[in-house]
Amino acid sequence: MSDLERELESELHRVLDPVAAMPIPPRRTPIGRTRMRTLVGGAGAVLSVKLLTGVAVAAAAVTVAGAATTGSVNPVDWGQQVSQHVADCKDKLTDGQHGIGDCVSSFESQHGAAAVASGARPSVKGGGSSNAHGNNSNANGHAKDKSKDHPLPPKTGPTARPTIEPEPSDPPNHPTVTIPPQR
Amino acid sequence: MTPEERAAPGPYQPGSEADFERLYRNTYRRILGTLITLVRDRATAEDCAQETYERAFRHWRSWRPEASVEAWLHRIAINVAISDRRHQSLRQAGEVVRRLGRPAPGPDPSAMAERSDLLRAMKKLPTKQAAALVLRHYHGYSNREIAAALGIPEQTVASRLAAARKQLQAVLGR
Repeated sequence: MSDLERELESELHRVLDPVAAMPIPPRRTPIGRTRMRTLVGGAGAVLSVKLLTGVAVAAAAVTVAGAATTGSVNPVDWGQQVSQHVADCKDKLTDGQHGIGDCVSSFESQHGAAAVASGARPSVKGGGSSNAHGNNSNANGHAKDKSKDHPLPPKTGPTARPTIEPEPSDPPNHPTVTIPPQR
Repeated sequence: MTPEERAAPGPYQPGSEADFERLYRNTYRRILGTLITLVRDRATAEDCAQETYERAFRHWRSWRPEASVEAWLHRIAINVAISDRRHQSLRQAGEVVRRLGRPAPGPDPSAMAERSDLLRAMKKLPTKQAAALVLRHYHGYSNREIAAALGIPEQTVASRLAAARKQLQAVLGR
């Protein structure tokens, strides 16, 4: 062993042996730190708060819209009232008249604009047939009412003429468009 | 097998928290001793020791009892010290910029007490060379045991020790 090695050993023992007499500190546990960091810190917490806020706002908007339309805060009442009104509209249909869109629209407009904001209007009007008369060139003047339980008028009876909107007419100087027959 | 391991009442069971606590009590001082020679001060060495046991605990289930547990801990500790030195050099660059124009702080008496010329010279060595020196000349490992602990060939241990001694002689002027 060289002088340097001997000196190295004695010096290391002189400096490090007192360390052996020191009390041992308690061991640091990493589990608590990482779990707390996951729960309360960082981007995860920000995203969680935003998500919860979004859900709360959406729930509040649906509740307010439903209550404004039906006058009740109970969601079960909302569905019952709308179903009842649709059934009433169907009962009021006379022979030769089909489509309950106008009738349902009147119910909707009576109960406030909140339903429109919540997106209820398109779904309610979609069940009606106000667009099914006349203006649809593919229907050849007759509606293709998609509601299954809506009775079609008898084929022998008088056909109701479209009365909602006049036929569109071309402006005077509009060039004529020729449509080739379909095969 | 190290003296600490011989003194233990029984073999360590991988994954057992009680056994890991026993391992911590049996080996903490020796791991801290190694780290004191590798990092800049005592407080940093204590912090690195805790980091060493945190990392070891994360892999405690996968530790194989065939390997020397203290050699395994030393390997982790040396890697922690290397990481700390790397971060320290970055921190020092920031400190130099921050302290420009200010007087240098006075010496810390408690830190000065545990310093020696030789230890200061060791801290200037590359971490892996200093680790080989302390394992060989303080813990009494053979070159083969150091090679097993660090996962390197025995020949590499010999060359690291030779390079470390040569650099120490140059620094100390002997």
